[in-house]
This record gives sequence, C-alpha cells and structure tokens, in this order.
Amino acid sequence: MSIEKFIQNAATGWMTAHGENSDIVLSTRIRLARNLRGYKFPIAANDEEALAVDKLVAGTLLDDNEDDYTYSRMSELSSLDREVLVEKHLVSPHLTDPKRHGAVLLSSDESISVMVNEEDHIRIQCIYPGLQLEEAFNQANHVDDILEKELPYAFDENFGYLTSCPSNTGTGMRASVMMHLPALTITKQIERIIPAIGRLGLVVRGSYGEGSKALGNVYQVSNQVTLGKTEAEILEDLSNITSHLLAHERKARNLLVEKSQIALENRLFRSLGTLVYSRLLQTGEAARCLSDVRLGIDLGIIKDVDMSILNELMIFMQPGFLQQFAQTDLTQEERDIFRAKLFRERLSIDGTRPSAETGTEE
Amino acid sequence: MICENCKERPASVIIKKGYIGEAVERHLCEKCAFQSETFHFDPNQEPLSIQQFLSQWFGGTEPFKTEQQQTRGNQFGSIECPGCNLTFSKFLDIGKFGCATCYDTFRQHLPNVFGKLHSGHTTHTGKIPVSFNRVYAIKRKVEEVRAKMQAAVAEERFEEAAALRDQANELQKQLAHGGEERNVD
Repeated sequence: MSIEKFIQNAATGWMTAHGENSDIVLSTRIRLARNLRGYKFPIAANDEEALAVDKLVAGTLLDDNEDDYTYSRMSELSSLDREVLVEKHLVSPHLTDPKRHGAVLLSSDESISVMVNEEDHIRIQCIYPGLQLEEAFNQANHVDDILEKELPYAFDENFGYLTSCPSNTGTGMRASVMMHLPALTITKQIERIIPAIGRLGLVVRGSYGEGSKALGNVYQVSNQVTLGKTEAEILEDLSNITSHLLAHERKARNLLVEKSQIALENRLFRSLGTLVYSRLLQTGEAARCLSDVRLGIDLGIIKDVDMSILNELMIFMQPGFLQQFAQTDLTQEERDIFRAKLFRERLSIDGTRPSAETGTEE
Repeated sequence: MICENCKERPASVIIKKGYIGEAVERHLCEKCAFQSETFHFDPNQEPLSIQQFLSQWFGGTEPFKTEQQQTRGNQFGSIECPGCNLTFSKFLDIGKFGCATCYDTFRQHLPNVFGKLHSGHTTHTGKIPVSFNRVYAIKRKVEEVRAKMQAAVAEERFEEAAALRDQANELQKQLAHGGEERNVD
C-alpha cells in the first residue's frame, strides 16, 4: 500500500519551487556510493550475496528510528510502478532490472532514497528542490553516518570509498543541479559553455536521458572528479559553476528581451497556446513548450500560470505517469491524447486547478 | 534483446570475439559479460564510456590483437583478483571492479587509472568513516589543523595560529599513544 501512496501522491518534494534562484535551478541532488567489505560488488555477486547485502542495509535503516523508511524490492513492483519511480528520479533505471535484487528504501517525504544492489551495494541519494547543495549533502551525509556505524564499509587509506566503477572512487559522491537554461540554449551560448565546464572537472548533460539532448532545455551539471578533492571542495566547485551559469543565463535573458521582444513574446505565447489547446501532444513538443512557458513566466511576459504546475507537468508528462493516471496501458497515440488533456486541464485559464485524474480520489 | 547466456536479463553488452575476418558477436547482460572470457563493450553504448576510455588508453580493444595488447596481457593483464577472479585486463575491458579486494590486487597500477579519470588525482582526501581507523583519522586531522595554522600565520592571525598549534600537538600526543580511545573527537 505504501508504495502506492508514493506514486499516487505523485507530486514529490523536489518538484516544488524553493529559494531565490528556483526559477532557474530546479533541484539539487547528492548521491553517495558505498560498498561493504567481504561481499562481491553487484556486478560479480551471486544471488546469496546480493540478498545478504540487501538484508544488512535494509535492516540497518529500518531499525533506525529517526526516519520512517519504506522498503520496496524491485522484483515485487509492477513494471509501471518501477517506471514511475524512475521518472520521479527516486531510483535509477539500472536498479529496476527485476533480476538484480535491487531494492529501494524511501524516506516518508521522498527526499532520501537509498538504493540497494545498484551498481554499488549502497547508493544514498538526496534530492532537494532549488539550489541547496549543502542541505542535501548534510542529509545524505547523515544517512551515511547511520549506515557507517553498523556496516563494514569498503574503505581504503589511499583510495577512499571503494566503488565498482573507478569513476566514483574516493568520495563516491556525485553532486548535481538541474538547471533550466532556455536563453543560453536559444542564443547557442551553451554549446560554448559545455566544453569549457568539462575542463574544470565538471560535466553538463541533458537531464532526462543521459547523453541525450537537453529535453525542455533542462541540463544537469555535476562533478566528474571524485578523487583528490574533499566533499566540501567538490560542492564549492559546483556551486561556483552554478552561480556562473545563473548569471550567464540571466544576462542572455535580458539580451533576448532587449533585442527581440516581439519575436520572443510571439514564441512564448504560441507555446502557451499549444499547451492549452492541443489535442495531441508529444513528449518533445510538450517539453519544448513547457520550457517556453516557464521562461515567459520568469520574464513576466506570461502571467496567471502557477510555476509549481509547470514543475509537476514536467514529470507527469512522461509515459509511466500518464499511464498511472489513466490507470491502464496506453498506446503512443493514446498517450499523446492523454498528455494533451492533462495539460489543458492543469493550465486551464480560469485558474481553478481541476482535481480529476490526478489519482487523489479515495 | 535478451542475454544469450542466462536468457533472463536484457543484453546490454556486445562481445566481439576477434579473429581476422570472422568476428563473432555475442549479446550478453553485464553480469554474464563479467563471467565470460574475452570481450569488450560496444563503444556506442554509453555516452561516457569508462571502459572504452580505459581500454583505448591502455592500447585499444580492436578485435585484432595489437602488439600493445599482447604486452599488456603478458605483463600485468593476467594478474587475477583472489576475491572475484577478475583479471586486470578484464577490468580494463569492462571498466568495473568486482569487489573491494580488486583494489588491493591491482593497487600498483591504479594510480595510473585514477590519474586519467580524476584530473591527475590519485589519493582520497575526503570523508573517512569514523570506525575505519582512529590513527588514520587523527593523522588526517593533524594535517588539516596544520594547514589551517599555516593559513593563520600567513594572514598574521597569530593568536589563532597558536591555538591551532596546541591543538595539533595534542593530537600528536594521542598518536604517540597509538590513537587509543581517548577523546579523539
């Protein structure tokens, strides 16, 4: 039942706007990779070892009285439920392979998810709304402390936390921020910026699919280097880059308004029109229009649309969620119809937020 | 596509057994690939392919054995981890360790690997599990306090520097006693 609760109450903490830069920085994520000494890493482990690790980690967290964790084994969820967890970024696609003995422990507010038997034995993940690197890190670090007290971590004096992939060795930490950068994208400056950031030990990629183009102009900026820097240094580097990107994006936005106000307004309002009046809406188009409408709201060009609705729609427009709402499998065309319907209702101009189909009926 | 070996998990790795003119492709899942003899990942698979990166850097994974690869195999590629039977050359191919013992087994070659992946860094400077090693934790703390002290001296905050010096000395004393339980934190 409880996993249903998570999926039914589909809006999750990190989707709400938070803080002064929440128009551009959507969310902050910290991930810590940990392994146990004496057990082969998941890639080499047999079933027995995987289950033993699962028992140890789940036992430790469920026994800890501080937070109320819900435990779900991937093999016991329906494929649709798994898809929804992935779309909410609460588990990785890698974890959901049902033969892997993957499991997840979710805190009651969903800000903490601890994945078991992903690429590493333990992946602690904290997602916070807006730009909150330190807060998210402190939370993840705290969970790490709890686990560390009970479990024999694989740690080495020279190499730090030992991980399955050498790209995570050391701190085992990946810190990332999700940023909406439409003006840098429209002005093509982002193409210049991405390689420059790469030289600083950080990486920028599209937020939906790794390596994919940035759907909806949402980018994920994260650290590449995990060895030879402290957690604090990594967070500081990322924070600096984030501030730079924020400043560049704002400058580019101002430039757009100054140089081509009418063309910009035309584009943004057309996108709003598409979202409000479409009868068939595909993912790519929906993401592009959402990005435009967001920008319109940020610039004060589009009024009367609530930003938090847009944050939700970004997640709910994905196939798993749509089918969850529809409570049935949908074909591609049915999904596009349903997506268009969802957008029309959520963005209805009279401002009343329709509650139908959002699965809250008891 | 389903893994040809276990017929359970989805195939995510393409293995090319290589002989000139007759390369055989096998589609396996990551787990079965780990167990298989020789293979390499499809380079087009992951955008940020560690294994591709490592193996190219160590001399290519073309199906046709190059001289470099043979050298690699003869010299240290055949070192095998007693914990999970992963060989060093296989580690370079799949780009993943199989267990914590791999790090001990391949230790002498790892600074090279890490240097390439982590902008030249080869040593951890971040968090240490409290339980891991008290002595080590204290050593780290001493280094940290001394660094702060030097910074304080450089900025002519001498009172603060003196306090930090005392703190470092106190920690040193604990080290001399073998880092026993006494109020380390």
